[in-house]
Amino acid sequence: MKHSNRIDGKRKRVRSVFSTALMLITAALLMVPFYFMFLSSLKPGTEMLRNGLSLTFDPGVSSFRNYEALNTYRDGIYWHWYKSSVIIMVLQTVIGLVLASMVGYGLAMYRFRGRNAVFTLVLILMMVPFEILLLPLYRMLIKAHLTDTYFGVILPYLVPPFMIFFFRQYVLGLPKELMEAARIDGCTDYGVFFRIMVPNMIPAYGAMTILSCMNSWNNLLWPLIVLSSNEKFTIPIGMGTTITPYGNAFDVLMPGAVMAVVPIIIIYLFAQKTFIAGLTSGSVKG
Amino acid sequence: MQVHSSVEKETVRKRNILLDPKVVPYVFIAPFLLFFLVIYLYPFISTILMSFQRIDGPNSVEFIGTANYERLFNRNFKQALGTTFRYAFWDVVVLTIVPLIFAVILNSGSVKFPSFFKSVFFVPALTSTIVVGIVFRLAFGTLETAPANRLLALFGQPAKDWLMFPDTGNFVLILLTLWRWMGVNIIYYISGLQAIPQERYEAAEIDGANAIQKFFHISLPGIKPVLIYVITITVLGGFAMFTESVALWAQNNPGGVGRTIVGYMYLMGFYKNNMGMASAVGLVLLGLVLAVNLIQLIAMGFFKRED
Amino acid sequence: MKKILAVLLAVAMLATLGITAFAEEEPIHLTLWTFQELHTQLYKEMLEKWNANPDNPKLDIDMQVYPYEDMHNKLTIALQSGEGAPDIVDIEINMFANYLKGDIQLADLNDIVEPMEDHLVMSRFNNYAKDGKFYGIDHHIGACIVWYNTEILEEAGIDYRDIKTWDDYHEAGKVVLEKTGKPMCTWESKDCWSIYPLVNQHGGDWLTPDNEVRMDEQVVVDTLAFMKSMLDDGTAVACPGGNHHSEEYYGWMNAGNCASVSMPFWYLNRFTDYMPDLSGKMKVAPMPLWPDGGHKSAQMGGTGTAVVKTSPNVDVAKQWLAYATLSFEGCVDTWLILGFDPIMTDVYGSEEMKAPNKFFDYYDDTIFDMLKTVLDDIPDTCLTEYFPAAADIVRNQMAYDLVIGGKDPEAIAKDCAEELRSMIF
Repeated sequence: MKHSNRIDGKRKRVRSVFSTALMLITAALLMVPFYFMFLSSLKPGTEMLRNGLSLTFDPGVSSFRNYEALNTYRDGIYWHWYKSSVIIMVLQTVIGLVLASMVGYGLAMYRFRGRNAVFTLVLILMMVPFEILLLPLYRMLIKAHLTDTYFGVILPYLVPPFMIFFFRQYVLGLPKELMEAARIDGCTDYGVFFRIMVPNMIPAYGAMTILSCMNSWNNLLWPLIVLSSNEKFTIPIGMGTTITPYGNAFDVLMPGAVMAVVPIIIIYLFAQKTFIAGLTSGSVKG
Repeated sequence: MQVHSSVEKETVRKRNILLDPKVVPYVFIAPFLLFFLVIYLYPFISTILMSFQRIDGPNSVEFIGTANYERLFNRNFKQALGTTFRYAFWDVVVLTIVPLIFAVILNSGSVKFPSFFKSVFFVPALTSTIVVGIVFRLAFGTLETAPANRLLALFGQPAKDWLMFPDTGNFVLILLTLWRWMGVNIIYYISGLQAIPQERYEAAEIDGANAIQKFFHISLPGIKPVLIYVITITVLGGFAMFTESVALWAQNNPGGVGRTIVGYMYLMGFYKNNMGMASAVGLVLLGLVLAVNLIQLIAMGFFKRED
Repeated sequence: MKKILAVLLAVAMLATLGITAFAEEEPIHLTLWTFQELHTQLYKEMLEKWNANPDNPKLDIDMQVYPYEDMHNKLTIALQSGEGAPDIVDIEINMFANYLKGDIQLADLNDIVEPMEDHLVMSRFNNYAKDGKFYGIDHHIGACIVWYNTEILEEAGIDYRDIKTWDDYHEAGKVVLEKTGKPMCTWESKDCWSIYPLVNQHGGDWLTPDNEVRMDEQVVVDTLAFMKSMLDDGTAVACPGGNHHSEEYYGWMNAGNCASVSMPFWYLNRFTDYMPDLSGKMKVAPMPLWPDGGHKSAQMGGTGTAVVKTSPNVDVAKQWLAYATLSFEGCVDTWLILGFDPIMTDVYGSEEMKAPNKFFDYYDDTIFDMLKTVLDDIPDTCLTEYFPAAADIVRNQMAYDLVIGGKDPEAIAKDCAEELRSMIF
């Protein structure tokens, strides 16, 4: 017995070293493009063209001057784009999480007439290519006087079907006993949802927060159609304006792209910490 | 265990219509139904109508029957179909399996600093598409000095014109997709893995199960609903791919590798200002994605578990 | 958690309310869309000069810059829904035909263009015209010229001024290749800036005004055959990165790897901005001539600035546009600020055009003397509603099959023509 335990321990250590090494190598490879982006953001735009994909830090031509220039580029418009992106991201994510988790839970937990029809509708809506809905959606927006507003931007994403689908799948994977126990305790259906299920769905909220923030942050087409004032643009639209057939403003593009990653990383780290803490103290464990 | 207040018990006893067991499920799904009826129903119907129209301006709309659909049988569209199918196939294979392996390893507790790695894997999904395009175009450039060609030279291979040929172009595209989306699928899988009660693994360990047995007997069945979700959205993502090809080729289509169905739809709708045709392309795409996903869902026993 | 979300939500709401438009009451308010930030520098300058004249109605123009492709998408959606379009808009030449279909939503500009006709390069206006009405005003001619790297040519013992015909060019290329090991030029494999200028200068085009396909005419076959002959002996190579706008090409060219390139005049600023190491080494010259006829140059690319018909201020928008783009001052500023070849013949040779700028520093101040010699012989291009389809075929099929596929020119021309015919209905 003792003997085999020692072998097990040794095997575990080997496995740990092997796994960590695999993760390290993969992480390093994945970071190469980002590292390049960061290095380029420190150099004048022509440096990148001159030397191509250079991964060596060159202190001679590197400085944070491009980052300072972001403040003055077209009267500091970059930070307006940044603000717009943040506002839209927060609104879209909060509303989407609340509504979609309810619907997903309802579809997973109850049997009722029309359930399959509704769920099929969710799936279809998820699969419709958004581009073909642009023209009629935009016509509606004009009638509702919502063009050039942030609310107009988030309107098509109030109850995102992909989120409903995910929450439904997630709830299906949860142990059934949880809900049964709560029912016996005499909770109302809403009580079960808010007190028992929501804490158990925390990892799903975590995943969806990150995903929703990311979708919103990278979304280009719809915000572009809705917004018309340059100051209300989001970062992807704004960054797009630096790329033109007559020349690309690499000096703005590179630092702008690096800065754009920062808030989501913060949200990610924050979300991860909170949600994992929530998970270990939740009732899944006991 | 939760302790319930007497206030709550009283509300249960009151015969509130919202508490009627027949009404409760509809309250939960009401946001979606309202959302669909108010926001999507009209555009959806309108798009179907548009696919039978020729639209030359706000006051110049003409019904032309199925002409838009008939015109779809051209070389460009077939090429786009082929490109999309090939890409979607590899996309689904690579993007469901690789992240799953990483998620299981990350969740197994054998990796040091798992949160650090999860964050790092996630970063690519956040980078600007424009910049990603520049980086990949330079990495897989045409010159012998391009990084990928230098790597080939190390193995004594001749330089390749990566982005100019369908096979290598598709390879770079899959690599780009994997790079961008691996971290996202890892997040999905991990959220599913975390919902599996730890006791099941402990019980299996006592029974002497090894890691592979634990994966197939506990992890995989436990995350099956999430797995179905991941496959479904990956199929969808594969067929609706556009951003990645634009990052590499913009509106160009060397040798037919750069244009997907959505790219073709874009070309029709915006580049050629033919909204009717674009709607027809979009609806054909919708039909395709639905069909493929239906087959996939049936194969995974998705509908069985409901009845 | 809920508290944090509530605070975030409140902050978001406040921020939304905080952004309010400051509209002054007196001046007439116009909106202008462009995909090119550079253009706004000219517009701002011309707006200031316009408002400085007390006879003009005061204008306040809101200039919005959008990403290139996306601006056209947005414009399409706005024009199709009949609402949300700007008063004035820059439309790229390849996209322009799209907005001349069916019920045209742009205002005709004949009343501002016709009085100036004798002073303008009118073939630039035909690109944006339909049924005798002009709908757009361009900023430049976009005359195609050749840039020579004199350092490489000198090493090979060649004076670029001796190159008169494309045959001379090819012969010079052979010497350059032999002496320096470097190619004479690059042909694009995924774009149209190599094939189209050469074909057009040779007397060919893709379509007739009645949408008859011209892609398989002998002149196209001959041009492709000439390009292929240069590829075959190595005097021309496939352009690194696929076109002359790729990052890879800029770096490669900047490092002195190629003796010349042929592009439209507006390519001047690519050299100044992206290939700084070639400063002082590059010289511009007219395109070599075809021995069997054709023209001195070709006009390529462009932006048609248009006024939207539904604008409540069509007249004043037109007047300002005429001032900004069709006046002597406007055309001089087009060169000084944008580095383009202006559409007004009067400015060529004028004193105002000789003011020093970064282009004169990079090249020399004989640019316009050279350009003047070709202006009298530039053919029209035929931009019908099927031009976008033709351009797509040239970029993705013709260029690819020629430069990468190495196919037979006659077969390429035939296949492409068939492809284009299948799209016309």
